[in-house]
This record gives sequence, structure tokens and C-alpha cells, in this order.
Amino acid sequence: MFMKMLVSSLIRRRSRMLAALCAIAIGATVLLGMAAISYDIPRQMGREFRSYGANMVLVASGEDALLKLEDSDRAAEVIPEKSLVGMTPYRYEIVRINMQGYTAAGTDFDQARRTSPYWNVSGAWPKEENDILIGSDIAEFTRLAPGSAINITGRASDGARFRRDMTVSGIVRTGSVEDEFIFMRLDTLDALMGNSGVAEVVEVSIAADEDELNALAAAISNHAPGVSPRLVKRVTQSETTVLSKLQSLVFLVSLIVLVLTMICVATTMMTVVMERRKEIGLKKAIGADNRSIAAEFLGEGMLLGVMGGILGTVLGYFFAQAVSMNVFGRGVILDWRLMPATVLVSVAVTVAACLWPVKRAADVEPALVLRGE
Amino acid sequence: MFRHMLIGALTRQRGRMFMIAMTMALGASISTAMLGVMMDVGDKVNQELKSYGANLMVVPKGAALLGDLYGVEDGLGVTDKYLAEDELPKLKSIFWAFNIVDFAPYLETSVSVSGPSGTEQCKLVGTWFDKHLDTPTGESLNTGMVRMKSWWDVKGNWANDDEASGGAVSGMIGANLASKLGVAPGGKVSIPANNGGDVMIMGVFQSGGAEDDSLFVPLSFVQRISDRPGAVSRIEVSALTTPENDLARRAAQDPNSLSRHEWDTWYCTAYISSIAYQIEEVITNARAKPVLQVAESEGAILQKTQLLMLLLTILSLACSALAISNLVTASVMERSAEIGLLKAVGASSTEVSVLIMTEIMITALSGGVVGYFAGRGFAQIIGHTVFGSSIAARGLVIPLVALLVFVVTLAGSLPAIRMLLSLRPAEVLHGR
Repeated sequence: MFMKMLVSSLIRRRSRMLAALCAIAIGATVLLGMAAISYDIPRQMGREFRSYGANMVLVASGEDALLKLEDSDRAAEVIPEKSLVGMTPYRYEIVRINMQGYTAAGTDFDQARRTSPYWNVSGAWPKEENDILIGSDIAEFTRLAPGSAINITGRASDGARFRRDMTVSGIVRTGSVEDEFIFMRLDTLDALMGNSGVAEVVEVSIAADEDELNALAAAISNHAPGVSPRLVKRVTQSETTVLSKLQSLVFLVSLIVLVLTMICVATTMMTVVMERRKEIGLKKAIGADNRSIAAEFLGEGMLLGVMGGILGTVLGYFFAQAVSMNVFGRGVILDWRLMPATVLVSVAVTVAACLWPVKRAADVEPALVLRGE
Repeated sequence: MFRHMLIGALTRQRGRMFMIAMTMALGASISTAMLGVMMDVGDKVNQELKSYGANLMVVPKGAALLGDLYGVEDGLGVTDKYLAEDELPKLKSIFWAFNIVDFAPYLETSVSVSGPSGTEQCKLVGTWFDKHLDTPTGESLNTGMVRMKSWWDVKGNWANDDEASGGAVSGMIGANLASKLGVAPGGKVSIPANNGGDVMIMGVFQSGGAEDDSLFVPLSFVQRISDRPGAVSRIEVSALTTPENDLARRAAQDPNSLSRHEWDTWYCTAYISSIAYQIEEVITNARAKPVLQVAESEGAILQKTQLLMLLLTILSLACSALAISNLVTASVMERSAEIGLLKAVGASSTEVSVLIMTEIMITALSGGVVGYFAGRGFAQIIGHTVFGSSIAARGLVIPLVALLVFVVTLAGSLPAIRMLLSLRPAEVLHGR
């Protein structure tokens, strides 16, 4: 009987109930969407912050000036693959162009593009073995342009002289020290120097906050004793402050939007109940007591809450996904616990919104209402 | 008569009108706060991102920076070109002077320093810690490293720029060097070079970079010790900038490639390239280079944040519009009996709708005004909790909120009024 009354009242008053369902679904959509986004913000923004470049550098521990690459490979095993953005070795040697000394850096360009996305390269990134990238200060000084051929000389690690013809494939501009370096492939520099497997530093870019980085650094020095990991304080510390501010901003805003949607749901439910005073009066006149009337309305509210909540959960997922794709160009990762929480909150809000008007409705005098006074 | 009825309706239905006004106030206050925060979020986040340090580096033209970061020997690529210290206040006279947040000059030299547990060859850096300046424009300000290196972990205090009596100056020492020399905050190291003297160590810092191996002292001390009076080898500038776009990128390649109109737009926008250009105009022989690591990332993060806030603002505006129009609809519908009576005694549909609309508009507008001021306060609360500074009040918010209040009220009451007008007086009054 109860179920029959519930269902038939939902079906009979289709348009009103649809409006209420809409309001609840919108509320739930916003709730889940906002929760998912503000939950995901540190991860998403953290990725954006990786454009600041490496937040950890690996150097040799102890007195050694050179880091063995096998040690840094061991260190890489500790870093979770998911959060590793890039890992770039740099080996520095002095070479000469036209008898003028420059610092040449051997590196892995694919990784360098990941750890230092801010490098501005005019021309092309080096592909061939003899392609090099020169800093903009050197380019200005020597008047070399992309495509120029140059002759590089120097002394190998065993003291023998070397000489090689190379091509400038591009000019790199960063506004800092890189502007005075020459970059070439690590294997090319290794071949010139006659030894391999070493680097001065390995720059690592990891999507993680300061605490996680500290833990990782400790794990790395345990696992690979030849490596001494150092955090780039400027990047890590600033990232933590800015990120926490951004997150609290989004959190506050989400809270405001949430309160608004709750008010919206509540006003809709109030309208729905208010409109049915006459029906309530009739029910009371034929013998329904206050408790059964309240139970009916609350049951209706609960049903609406569950339906709207489920609908909103599905829509909210797409909503969060759309926002995340638009703003960050990446999908959102949804914590599954948010889904049942959303449904629960929508039921709670809907039922709470019904309480006050139901109480007022239960107070009506059947005779007065039915007569229309 | 109309006024009489209006006042009567407003006072008699005090409770209901109060409810509408309150909802309107809530909606308007949230819109005001969100719009205010959204318009200001760019500046605020920009300020926060200043903790990443300088985004402009000013060096003498033709001088390649010393590749000191990775321990390249002194002498490579070093030239004897310098900037003049007395030109520094001119930085505050460029077109975008207001956007120059802080700047600090540097002059470096290599000296041997002796402390309690040994002598070390190290880099001595002269700078401004917290220097008071009077600019040519009559402004007075404090600038220097204290504000630009906020990520430094300092034990003890920041040094100051005054040269103490007896030739001792205050200075700060990097953590690595401090442990080699065996000094702590409050200790003393001495520099035996020409014109050298004692340095009181005010603080030991850890920066995680190459600075950890150097000693920072006031600029004048380094100028004296290295016999380069008035010279500065580079200036770090921290400026608030607008994210780069195509125009700015083209201008950064070559400002001369722009048309006259584009050039004006570029020059009068706070792009990092135009600020760099303006700095080169005022400082003799200078080259201002954007530090892309900081500049590019700032742009990316700013854009994302603004876009996110824009989406959230639109969402909250839509939500408040929905909540308000719902309530307005509900309260108008409740008045069917009264409207039936009005119609029964001869009021036309137009008269009834004008009366109801005016009532609601007056209520909504008064709610909106209250809400606007509440929203201003609300924005300040957000500003202070999140950023620790207040949100600027912008004139543009007022018409936007007024428009929102008007449109939402109209949209909320229209369907209800249409329904009321189709009521038949007899039926309503009879209670069917």
C-alpha cells in the first residue's frame, strides 16, 4: 500500500517530480564534480608545476665528482613509474670552437624535453649523432645559425686530441646558464671523450609534493649508495605553498557552490510539499495520522534523493571529466568512495529539505484546507 | 492607488518578501564574491608565484654569464663589462614600473675566507639585502634579496646593508661553506684580501642550489674589495606579468617586425618581453633576459587557474540563479487566492502583473544591495584565508551583479505570473 501510494504519486505528478528530480540531480552533479576536481587538484596542478623543471638532482655521493650512470639507474628503480616525469643525465666537458673554450653538455634530448619543457629552441632538436644545440649567447657571439657547420676540438679523457665536424641544428634560449652551453647527444660526447657511463648530474622531475620527495630522496640514498639526491628547494618549496593555496581556494569555492545547490534543492522540495496541502488535508480527513503522512513524504524524498543522486553521480563524473579535459587537457581520476558519498548526501539533503514543510503540512486542519481557506 | 497597494502588499507579506530578499541577498553575495575573486585570482596567484624567484635577469650587453652553476673555472667567458649601480632606481621609472615587484643587484668575486676551522677559497657575492631606495619619481621603497629568496631556509637572521663600525660588515653564509669554515649565526669570518675585513655572520642559509657554497655580503663591500666602485654584474628582477600570447612571442623574437599598432599594444601590455624591452631602454648597456624557466611556467599556471576559476564562477552563478528563480516561482504561486480576488474586483491582467513584478523587483533589488555588500565582505574572507591579502573591489562587479539580479528575478517570476493570469477568479476563490 505504502509503495503503491509512493509510486503512483511520483507518476501522477510527473512534471513537478521531474523538476524536483532535476534539481537534486544537478545538485549531485555539482557535488560530485566539485569534490572530484578539488580532490584531484594537487595531482593535476602538480603536473602543471612540472614545467618549472627538475625538482630533484642526483649527484655523486662522497668525494667523487662524477656520478656513475649505473648508480642513477639503480636510483630510478625506487621512483614509481607513474610519477616520474623525466630523468635527464648531464655530462659537462670543455670543448673548443675556433680556439674559444665552451662548456659542452652531453644529454638525452628526449628526456631533456620532459624535464625542461621551458627550453625555447629555434631550429630543430638534434636527431643525428653530429647534431648539436647551441645556447643563444654563444649563437649571438659566434653568429652561428641553425644549419651552420662547425668544427669542435678538445682533449679526450686520456689526453689525446680530438676533432669533429658537427652541424648546429638549433639554438636554445632559456634566459639562464643554458644560454652559454653547447648541447650534444650523450653518446656523441662519450665517443669524443673516450669513456662513458658517467655524468655530473642527473636532473629528475617527479610529480610529488615535498614530503613525498623527501621520502623518495631517503629511499634513493638507501637503495643506491653511490647517489646523493638533492631537492631543488626553489622548486619544491614554492610548489608546496602555491599548491596548498590553490587547493584551499578551490575547496572554499566548492563549499559555497555546494551550499547554494543545497538551498536550491531545499526550495524545490518545499514547493513540492506546499503544493500538496490539499491532498494532505484529504488524507487526514479520511483517517491518516501525522506519522503516516510524514512517512509518505519522507519516503518520496528518499526515493527522489536516491534517483537524483545516482543520476547526478553519473553526470558528475562526465562533468568533472569535461572540466579537467578543458582546463588541464587530462582526464580526472575519481576516487570511487566519492560515488556512494554523493548518493548519501543527496538523500540526506532531500530528506532534510522535506522535514520542515512536512511538519507544517502535518499541522494543517483538514477542514480548513479542503474548504480552501 | 498603485503606490498604496504596493506598500500594502510589501508590508503585509513581510515574512514572504523577507524570504525572497534573503535568497536574493545570498545569491547576490555569492556572485559578488565569486566575480571579485575570479577577477583578482590572476594577480593573487601571480604574487604567489613570485616565490619562484626572479623572472628577469639584467646583464651587461655582450657579457656572457659565467657558467658558474656547474663549477666551470673562473675566466671563461667573463668580460669586464658592468652595469652602474646608480642606475638601478630607474627600474622604477619604466612604463610598467608598478609591476616591478622587487629587484636585487649582484657583484661576485672569488676570495679566500678564513673561519674558526680553516680557510676556503669561495665565491663572495655582494648584493642588497633590504635596501631603502628613493626613486627619481619620488617614490620610496625597500627592495632586495630578502623578498626574492623566500624559499631559502635561514637559520639566524637576514643580514642588513649597513656597514658596521670598525670595517666589519654583516653577511650570510651558505650551509655547505658554513660547515667547512665551522661558523654559526653570530660568528665571524675574515677576508684577508686587500681592503678586506671581518664579516659578522648574521645567518646561515640553505638554498639547495649553488649558493650554498658562497658568502653573501653588502654590495659596497665587494665593490671595495675588488676595486670596482659602482659596478654591478647582474640584476635579478621579479615582475608581475601577463601570460604570453602570439603577439608577445613574435615581439620577443624581434620587436621591429611588428606593425605600429601591434607595437603599441605590445608595449602597453605587461608581457615579460615588453618589460624586458623597457628595462633595456632605461639602463645603459643592459640586456634583459626573461628567465624562461620561471616566465613560461608562470604563464601556464596562471592560465589554468584563471580558466578553472572562470568555470567555477559560471557554475556558482548558474546555481544561484536556479535557487533564486525556484523560490520566486514558489512564492508567487502561493498567492493565487489574492490574485483571484484582485481580478474579481476588476483588475486587468496587465495591472496585476505590473503590481506583482514591481513588488518582487523592489524586494529583489533591496536584497541584491544587501547581498552586494555582504559579498564584498565574503570576498575579503576568502582573500584573507587563502592568500593572506584583501581582494580588490572592482567597479565592473556592480553592473554584472545588478544585471544578474534583474534577469534572474524576471526569469523566475515570469512562468509563475503566466500561470496566475490564466486562473479563473471564481474557481480560485471558491478553492478548487
